[in-house]
This record gives sequence, C-alpha cells and structure tokens, in this order.
Amino acid sequence: MRREEKLKPYILLLPQLVLSGMFLVGLVNGIVQSFGIIPAFGLTEFSVDYYVETLQNTEVLRSLLFSLYISFVSALLAVVLGVGLAYVLLARGLKNGAVMRMIELPVIIPHVVVALFVVNLCSQNGLIARVIYHLGLIENSQQFPLLIYDPQGRGIILGYLWKEIPFIVYFTISMLGSINGSLGEAAVNLGASSFTAFRKVTLPLCMPNILTGFLIVFLFAMGAYELPMLLGSTSPKALPVLAYIRYTHPDLKMRPYAMAMNGLIILVSLLASVWYFYLMEKSAKKLGS
Amino acid sequence: MKNIRMQEQKIYKTGSRIRQNCIILAVMLLIVVPVINIAIWSFTARWPWPALFPERFSSRGIGEILRRGKETGKLLFSSVAISLVVGVLSVICGCLTARAIVFYDFFGKRLVNVLVMLPFFVPATVFVMGVQILFIRMKLAGTVGGVVLVHLICSLPYAVRLISDGMRAGGLSLEEQARVLGASEAEAFFRVGLPTLTPVLLSSLGMSYIVSFSQYFLTLLIGGGKVKTFTIVMVPYLQNGSRDIACIYSIIFTGISVLIFAVFEWIAARWNRSNSTEFYG
Repeated sequence: MRREEKLKPYILLLPQLVLSGMFLVGLVNGIVQSFGIIPAFGLTEFSVDYYVETLQNTEVLRSLLFSLYISFVSALLAVVLGVGLAYVLLARGLKNGAVMRMIELPVIIPHVVVALFVVNLCSQNGLIARVIYHLGLIENSQQFPLLIYDPQGRGIILGYLWKEIPFIVYFTISMLGSINGSLGEAAVNLGASSFTAFRKVTLPLCMPNILTGFLIVFLFAMGAYELPMLLGSTSPKALPVLAYIRYTHPDLKMRPYAMAMNGLIILVSLLASVWYFYLMEKSAKKLGS
Repeated sequence: MKNIRMQEQKIYKTGSRIRQNCIILAVMLLIVVPVINIAIWSFTARWPWPALFPERFSSRGIGEILRRGKETGKLLFSSVAISLVVGVLSVICGCLTARAIVFYDFFGKRLVNVLVMLPFFVPATVFVMGVQILFIRMKLAGTVGGVVLVHLICSLPYAVRLISDGMRAGGLSLEEQARVLGASEAEAFFRVGLPTLTPVLLSSLGMSYIVSFSQYFLTLLIGGGKVKTFTIVMVPYLQNGSRDIACIYSIIFTGISVLIFAVFEWIAARWNRSNSTEFYG
C-alpha cells in the first residue's frame, strides 16, 4: 500500500482525535487534581488524603448511595417498562407511524423542561393531587405524598422515567421487532403463545441490546446534574450536585475534595462498564454455543 | 368442545387487545398531559387548589415576553444558532470518523473505538469540571466558541454511531463503481456516496442539535453565565417560582426545537422514499 493510503484514516480521524484529546485532558486533569495536585492554587503534593477524607465523610457516603439508588432504580424501571411497552407496541403493530413519533417526543425534550413538568404535575398542589382530591381520596393537599424535594428522590426518578422509558423503546424496538418477527414467529408456529415466545426467545436474544440501554440510562443518571438539582431535597444531595457545590467553594483548597467525588463517579462508571463488558462477553459465548 | 375453546381463545385475544390499547392510551396521556399543562400555565393568572382548571386567565406572561421581544429574539437566535453550528460540525466530524472506522483497517483502531464511545461511559459533569481550567487558559471560557466546543465533544459520539451504522449498511460499492467509471475520489464521495448517506446525516444532525440544545451544566460552567442559551435563562425562573415565564419559555423554545428536529426527520424520510430503499434496509 502507498504511504498516502496508510496515512489516510489518521487524516480522517484528525478532528475526532483533537476532540477526544480534550475529553481525555479533562478526565486526567480531574483525576490528578483529586490527588491534591493543582499547581495554579499552590497545591503540589501528591496525597490520597482527599479520597480517605471523602470516604469517611457521612454526607458524601449518603450522597453516593443516593446517586447509586436513583440511577439503579431509574435504569431498572426504565428498562422493564420500556421493553414491556415495546412489546405492546409490536403486538399492536404500531412500530412505525404517529404513535411511535409521539413516544419519541420525550427523548428530545430537555431535562430542565422535564423538571418543570414534574413540578407542575407531582407537587402537593399539582395536577395529580387535584385529580385525586376530586376522586375523593384525599381531603387536602397535605395528605398527598411528598413526591418532589423528597429525601427518597421520587420526583427525580419520575422525571427520569418520563424521559428514559421512551428512550428504551426507541433504542430496543427495531431489534425486538426483527427477532420477534422471525424467530419468535417460528416459536409461535411451534405452539408457544405469543407472550411465551417473546419472553423465552426474543428477550434472551435481545439481552445485549437491552443491557446497553440499561448501562446508558444508569451512567447518565449517575453523572447528571439538572434533575437532582431542580427536584432533589437538601439532604441527601446527589453526588454530582454535592461535587459542584464543593467545586464552586470560595476556598480553592477545597477543589481536590470535589475532584475526589468526581473520582468516585468515574470509579462507579468504570465498574459498571467492566461488569457490562463481562456480561456482553458471556452472552456472546452463550449465543455462540 | 373445540368450539368452546376457540371461543375462549377469541375472548382472551380481544381481552388482551383491549388491555393493550388501554396501555397505549395511558402512555399517550402521560406524554401529552404535561405538555398541555404547561401550555395552560402560560396563560394562567390564578389557579387555586383544588381547581382542575385555572380560575382566571391572563396574558401577563405572554405580554412580558413580547415586551422583551428583542431580548427574547436574541436569546432564541443564539440558542438555535449555537445548537445548529454544533449539529453541523458534529455531522462533519462524525462523517470523517465513521469513514475511517468503517472503511479502513489501521493501527490503533480499537483504541479509537474506545475514544469515540468514551463520553457515553464517563459523565459529562466530571469531564467539564476537569476541563474548565484548560478552557480558561485557552481563553475559551465565557465564549460562544468554548460552549460550541464542549457541546461538540458530547454530541459527537451520537453522530459517529448513527453515521457509521448508515455507512455499514450502504457500503462502498457505489462509490467504487463511480471510481471505475472515471470519477476522482472526491467526486465519487460528493456526488455518489454523500447523496445516499443524506438521510442518516440529517438524522444525526437532528440528534446532535437536540443534545446541544438540552445541555445545561456544560453551558453553565464553560459559558460562565455570559453565553446565554434557553436552559441557562429558563432555570432561574424555575428556581424562583416564576412558573408562568418558565412555561412560556419552555413552550416557545422546545416547540421550535422539536419542529427543527421534525423537519430534519421528515426530509430524511422523504429522501429515502424518493431515492428508493435499495441501499438502506
């Protein structure tokens, strides 16, 4: 091959490499700072103390658990309900067309607008509470459960579900549809009910796709700032919210603590990704045999 | 006996069909009600508990937005322009990267694949807190260019994924035929490869636009409050309880963005139909 030809992919990749390089700089910079090295602020000594102190801080630990909890619950419910909805849509033959367009709408609506939706609908004097009042189930707004600004993060989870269930439908439906239409159909011809065929044939074959959807939702929620900031309670705060408060602390010597929290988020992402690739490989082997 | 069973099956089937239609109807309601709700809020003067509809309507909010027409117009222009620029750059960079990944074998390909997908695996908040210092040093913090750059970094993986899927489906064979017939490489790409890719490029343009338009945290940190986009202006209203203004902004800006996205998708779908679906499964 001519040298020119050999160089060509790298030339094509030039903008990508510059942008990826910037991403890496941000990542590495954050990690270096989390070990207490920020020359601009006069911090030059490597130390793991920031991590040790961060992990001993109960507020941080509560935030970490809280973030893991909302991310896991959001991702799990989004995947289960999203795949269920995709099944219903396939069964009704609505894979394309107006209904599907509608379901894609939440995917393209910004999170800050979703926060506004949740406030309007789910607060104690929101629309849902009013409907329940008119049904005679509660007598005043105080009896309606606290769904936003609550320490269990229910409002945050509801916000994510409104956006991510449609995302999972959008992300999985074409694969679910094509496998259900071919191999699922074969199982039905052999006597399985359509639901059994979906559960026993289509679902296992689509698992890698579904898992990818789970990972995307989980990692997104783990690092997202908007919904927890707008719908969360003062305590516990989601980890990115807490990290940003430390980050903007007027005392610049606090910066490494913020970065150590970000380090924890990176660690969670890394563990989730390793677990994901392990499962992907396992399912690839299973399908191969 | 057989008759009864068949009847039973039929009943079961209509039963489940009704159930399924109910589920779909409920989902549609859950999607539409919040949107209608903020549309009503935009015109509401008083909406006391426990009324299901506002007591008094007013055009105060709308009037205020219109009075600040110039400001709103500027905000609308800068918001849409930033996201459109991000979208176009993202499609160009995504196209180059996808071409390299799909059609070439080269040293370090696996590493490049990981780099491309990295923003999916590491949250953007973490990246942007780490990169802010660099942007300040490069004098990009607080500038439109800086905001476009971070938005681009976060929307590029979506574009690369969509475009490389499209390229894999399309293949190089048509371009090769053009080359055989005497076209230069650039000619073959721009006159044969590019037109067949157009629907995918439009889809990824729409996606990148939306990713950029939705960003709040990245814009806040790198824009530093100086670069104003829809989310940056809207969040303070949401926080201090000016719900009518927040609702109006949401309706106008999100409406326009959904429209832009829909137009891209519509052209993409039409393109597919008019150019036959031979090359796209």
